[in-house]
Amino acid sequence: MAEKKNRSFLRKAAIFTALIAVYLIVAIPFKVMEVIPGFTDIRPVSMLMPVYGIFFGIPGCIAYAIGNLITDIISDSLRWSCIAGFAANFAGPFCYWLFWARLSKQSFTLRNHKNLLKHILLILVDALLVAGMITPFVVLSYPDVDAKLFFVMVLINSTAFPILIGIPLIILLQDELGLKPIYLPRKDKQITRHKT
Amino acid sequence: MNKLQANICLICVTLLWSTEVIIFACIPDNVVPFATTAITNLIGAALLFLFFFKRIRAEIKAGGKKLLLRILLLSVLNCAYNVMYLYGLKTFDVSTGAFTISMTGVILPVLLFMGKKKVQKKTWFSAGMVFAGILVSYISKIGHINPFGLLMIVGGCVIRAVYIIKLNDYAREHDPVSLSAFISLLVGVYSFIIWLCMQPATFAAIEWNSQIIASLFIYAYFIVALAQTLNIFAQRRASAASSTIIYSLEIVFSLIWGMIMPESMVERVTPDIFMMLGVVFILLGNMSEIIDFSHFKFLKKGREKIG
Repeated sequence: MAEKKNRSFLRKAAIFTALIAVYLIVAIPFKVMEVIPGFTDIRPVSMLMPVYGIFFGIPGCIAYAIGNLITDIISDSLRWSCIAGFAANFAGPFCYWLFWARLSKQSFTLRNHKNLLKHILLILVDALLVAGMITPFVVLSYPDVDAKLFFVMVLINSTAFPILIGIPLIILLQDELGLKPIYLPRKDKQITRHKT
Repeated sequence: MNKLQANICLICVTLLWSTEVIIFACIPDNVVPFATTAITNLIGAALLFLFFFKRIRAEIKAGGKKLLLRILLLSVLNCAYNVMYLYGLKTFDVSTGAFTISMTGVILPVLLFMGKKKVQKKTWFSAGMVFAGILVSYISKIGHINPFGLLMIVGGCVIRAVYIIKLNDYAREHDPVSLSAFISLLVGVYSFIIWLCMQPATFAAIEWNSQIIASLFIYAYFIVALAQTLNIFAQRRASAASSTIIYSLEIVFSLIWGMIMPESMVERVTPDIFMMLGVVFILLGNMSEIIDFSHFKFLKKGREKIG
């Protein structure tokens, strides 16, 4: 019994570490290079936000926030505002988990127009939340930062990448590579049992 | 993956491909294109082999010699059309070159028809719209077109059309991840051989810095590993003809990048009326291919009345 528990813990720890590693692999090249001169904050890693929340639940949300914190440390941009950044980067994926695991009556899939539209709306709401959480603290830490521009940048990063690349990535992971959300809402469990 | 999802994935693939120019702009000019292709494809292949080793091994066991021969054919075709594009595009300005590459969407249905395969009416209409878009975009540049360059690109388009038809067939029979991994590996090896002939010092000839390394890794993740794998998965559900018509959207994305990106990164594009009209035709062609009109009730009613 204890060995089983140990194995399960090790498996969870391995997944958690892998999630942080994947975050860093995607994020670090964009921190190192200046893709568009004068416009450094391009964050395609935001495409992972819904993936981590939906497929890996709360551990995924924590991994996402820690990944972001490590990226800040590596890129020498660790400031007090990173506390808000940590909270927002936890809350971002958490909203996806909350919606699909607790609020939605259907299980997660992007196979129809209705769910796709729901997911896009959720991305928009989530982006507003993330931008709203980070911007005031960044403005307090860096008085020179243009608050409106920063807000818009966070909003663009948190909507464009999860929609344009995140949705196809989810389709690939769920429908073709067979990745299943780790959480399973109660209703889904009952349905699955009936079917089997 | 259903048809709707396949179309979404193909649009994403086209978008990722269109960003190639932006990533290339971050790599200094002294790094030859074959070096970039070799390194990024080898990194992409290494990632796919690392993450999907068991899956690929199982596919090799199941597919055997037949799989390897098919991969060999696909990788040769891939390399051939890319080289022809590379030399053909040098004789064109960016926008006209991008419009001409969309010719694949016109050639492919013709090749399918010649091979006695069924092509839907709406695909003919879409291909016609893409062709009209290319012709309209040529109006203001007709005197500047280099026949050699045009021949190279059209030749590249024919080879690419054959590649897409074959890929579409093979994707239904074999595991897309394995196909993607092996195509990347072989394209990487071929490009490395050409790079070795052109620049014997290979890796030592590059002045390495963090910018180059980061750009190569970004290219490898997004354009080689993700876009190529996603493309092959989507090809399983979409027809070769509709995939190619969606690929023609690349010109629309490229024009957007040309308008919004700084001049230091991409050649600035100021679209004239003919280019805009060309884009409209291509968009119309895409919409008629992507949208499933059978969902619209008023169209059904109309048909019933006509009937």
